[in-house]
Amino acid sequence: MQFLTLGLGSLEQGLIYAIMAIGVFVSLRILDIPDLTVDGSFITGAAVSVMVTGLQGEGGGVLYPILSMLAALLAGAAAGAITGILQTKLRVQPLLAGILTMTGLYSINLLIMDEKPTVNINGMTSIFSDIQNWFVALFGDSMGVSVAKKLAVIPVLLLIVLIVAFVINWFLHTQIGMSIRATGDNVEMVNASSINSDAMKILGLAIANGIVALSGAALAQDQNFADAKAGTGMVVVGIASIIIGETIFGKRSVLNNLISAILGAIVYRIFITVVFQLGLPASYFKLLSAVIVVIAISVPIISEAVIKRRARRAKNAKG
Amino acid sequence: MLKVENACITFHANTVNERKALDDVSLHLKPGDFATIIGSNGAGKSTLLNAVAGSYLLDSGYVYIDGEDVTMKKSYKRAKYIGRLFQDPLKGTAPSMTIEENLALAYSRGSRRGLSRGIKKSDENMFRQRLSQLGLGLEDRLKSKVGLLSGGQRQALTLLMATIVTPKVLLLDEHTAALDPKTAKQVMGITEQIVRDNNITTLMVTHNIKDALSTGSKTIVMSNGRIISVLEGETRQSMTVEKLMKLYSDTAGDSFSDRNLLD
Repeated sequence: MQFLTLGLGSLEQGLIYAIMAIGVFVSLRILDIPDLTVDGSFITGAAVSVMVTGLQGEGGGVLYPILSMLAALLAGAAAGAITGILQTKLRVQPLLAGILTMTGLYSINLLIMDEKPTVNINGMTSIFSDIQNWFVALFGDSMGVSVAKKLAVIPVLLLIVLIVAFVINWFLHTQIGMSIRATGDNVEMVNASSINSDAMKILGLAIANGIVALSGAALAQDQNFADAKAGTGMVVVGIASIIIGETIFGKRSVLNNLISAILGAIVYRIFITVVFQLGLPASYFKLLSAVIVVIAISVPIISEAVIKRRARRAKNAKG
Repeated sequence: MLKVENACITFHANTVNERKALDDVSLHLKPGDFATIIGSNGAGKSTLLNAVAGSYLLDSGYVYIDGEDVTMKKSYKRAKYIGRLFQDPLKGTAPSMTIEENLALAYSRGSRRGLSRGIKKSDENMFRQRLSQLGLGLEDRLKSKVGLLSGGQRQALTLLMATIVTPKVLLLDEHTAALDPKTAKQVMGITEQIVRDNNITTLMVTHNIKDALSTGSKTIVMSNGRIISVLEGETRQSMTVEKLMKLYSDTAGDSFSDRNLLD
């Protein structure tokens, strides 16, 4: 039973971070911008989501949580657009622009949360509540209430992931979407094709951070609270998911890339769960994420150097 | 079709490095004119093209395209009317996108881009047919990523992209200089054919004096940011590489470098 709970737990977390990985994919791989706004916009999504959900009156109702997801999406998009404007109109370096927005968002997020470091919505209706009640009614007796509740979350998250992936894949093949892809690929070509590359960067970053905020909102709905400090290192988690996905599942087309990012996020979560089960303290989570990114980036370079050296040595031995 | 009036651009103004890149340059091309620009390094050839394209804004003077004053228009807005090729074959295409995606982007130049499908089925046949005219076999590789193509193939594709929506002005900045001689000749041939077939007003910078005299209908000679001579008609026909070099050193007090003589 513990194995099942752990498996469900990592799948659940994996799906939530898969949403974020899609957002990071849009900024990192499509626009070719390492966007640090993510650390802030993820929490913006969570903060907006708990506050809007908290507006529901007596008896709840699923309307507010659903609205809260959309509100989170828009708030994240606004944050991304600010980073985009900093980069393009004000010529702030891309990395610095992300850091500036992220830093500013820390205060904004606290303001959204009524200046409380954590806000919880325990006992209120979340996007998962209705389906959880069904699952408890159906499977509660056989597998226990807590497992049934965890199980209920999975199809909802899966639906969100699939909708986001479908919409982004569609969008990236429209005229505007193709213009955004070209902007990340070759800015000069884009300007020469009479496309406003600044506008494409702003739009792309808005979409990326909108999705990231949606992921933060999903986490808040799942955990029933938002924590203003939980955003640190989110972008690294996203990058790790993308790189793991690309390494295992390839990167041939846009759709392939999206699927790789999603599966990469899930694999990453399972890996993390296994490592912690083996006894690594939870405080090592962020370090582990950073090390994975370093390894994933450096392995091809190191292996190439090793192959070259071996080939030289073999040649020298012969000659 | 293209009119440049008293264009001036000074780089590093009011410093010791002050340099007049364009010094009172005026130029008028009628529809269908194909002019080549020749001059030594730093003569202002590329600056003139950049000024027309809007990459540099003029300090004073005007640029008109088809009668419209575009002097202060941003480059991406001018790009509606302008097709442009650079020396670097990598600059004109998006490498991780496919040939048809690149063409589709170029094909939507000047029209509003929305949420309709980027590649329309009906356009595919047209792309294939236009690609086959290049004679490089690219028509069978619509779904290949452009990054896989050779420099010559990419430059030919860029040329097609720049002209697939017939531009009012085509700017070519030494677009064959980075290619090997055989490919350069091939791309130049394709260029002349496309320009002729569509009657495109064209401005081509070249370092090759022979090309400058044999291609197009006018040769503009530049030195130190000024146009020192415009050769056309009989004067141009009777002009030889040697005569042009003499004219250059006499009028400009400047000489071509060896690079100008390479085939």
